[in-house]
Amino acid sequence: MSSGQGKKRLTNNSGEVGFLAKVTRRVSDTPIVAYTKQKASDAAYVSHKLLKSTGKAAWIAGTTFLILVVPLIIEMDREQQFNELEMQQQSLLGAPPLAPAQK
Amino acid sequence: MAGLVPPGTTVKPDASTAKPKEEEKVDYMNLPCPIPYEEIHREALMSLKPELFEGLRFDFTKGLNQKFSLSHSVIMGPTEIPSQSTETIKIPTAHYEFGANYIDPKLMLIGRVLTDGRLNARVKCDLSDNLSLKANAQLTNEPHMSHGMINFDYKSAPGLTYPPPPPPPPKHKMQGKDYRTQFQFGNGALFGASYIQNVSPHLSLGGEVFWAGQHRKSGIGYAARYENDKMVATGQVASTGMVALSYVQKLSEKVSLATDLMYNYMSRDVTSSVGYDYILRQCRLRGKIDSNGCAAAYLEERLNMGLNFILSAEIDHRKKDYKFGFGLTVG
Repeated sequence: MSSGQGKKRLTNNSGEVGFLAKVTRRVSDTPIVAYTKQKASDAAYVSHKLLKSTGKAAWIAGTTFLILVVPLIIEMDREQQFNELEMQQQSLLGAPPLAPAQK
Repeated sequence: MAGLVPPGTTVKPDASTAKPKEEEKVDYMNLPCPIPYEEIHREALMSLKPELFEGLRFDFTKGLNQKFSLSHSVIMGPTEIPSQSTETIKIPTAHYEFGANYIDPKLMLIGRVLTDGRLNARVKCDLSDNLSLKANAQLTNEPHMSHGMINFDYKSAPGLTYPPPPPPPPKHKMQGKDYRTQFQFGNGALFGASYIQNVSPHLSLGGEVFWAGQHRKSGIGYAARYENDKMVATGQVASTGMVALSYVQKLSEKVSLATDLMYNYMSRDVTSSVGYDYILRQCRLRGKIDSNGCAAAYLEERLNMGLNFILSAEIDHRKKDYKFGFGLTVG
């Protein structure tokens, strides 16, 4: 991207090529820069894909959890509260605690 | 659910003394009656296939007397329309359903009428202690969609001795107690017969044949079911290429886990699902997830005596199809 812009500017004032421009061009033309750029764009692409798929997996896992597990947790909690209440009532009434057997 | 768990037999000695032999004989002659062939996957279906719906449901049942009751229900919400494309098309619909039930231990009559003209009628009648008749009819205003079916279900009532067969060996007097057979007739020249027999206190084996004259198809199927008070395992194969296996593990009185596998040899598609079933004091919660990426949960919460609140959720990640429904059942 940056090299293209550089070229454009160079052609605009094509008459005098400055020292800095010469250096930049020489550096940007070396294969190592091209290679690095290639790798960087590859890495960006892969990480983008990875992030996207991770996000999708997290979404699927989260919604599935919301559907399957959250109601279960809430209902188990309610059941436990109910049991505790019954135990308390029974102990208040003085009856022997039979709740575990009835469970 | 645990209604048909056979009583666990205690001793099966193989000693050659007279007494244990007799016990063994009694054991095998008094096998419990198996469950009907078409209900062989009952426990797994209970946990894995709740009646999921989308939108609103309101059901009201009013008993007029001990045997007769009327039901009214309102169903609102989107309904799927079968289409060729992969995307599901839904149109909003609203229906009112009126039903009348007559329930007697010997005779059961159930009728349902929907506002779009569909009529459903079911009869179950015990002709004698052993023979019962079941009929099912559905009438619609669309052509070729109405169908009817009659089943004759023959089982031996437990505790009844049969008229002994011509040479009556005493030990075969009670034979026929541990099987159940059924003949089925439907419109479109559909005939079917099935037979299921308990071979040991826990294991039952069965088979079926059917012939559908309209589609020029016939088939044969076999099934096996093993159950004890902790688990139920069933397997079924049919010549249509269908293989169905299911397994239910009862962890406790309140909790059971179920899994099933469906394989079609012809179309080569496999689906399997895993689910749980919690029966708590105030509610019943069923959840399952299957290999197509479809998760579903069904919650029935008892708010009061005769007042149930239902929540149904189904998420199909692959098709991006999300179905949520709530409902109220009164009476």
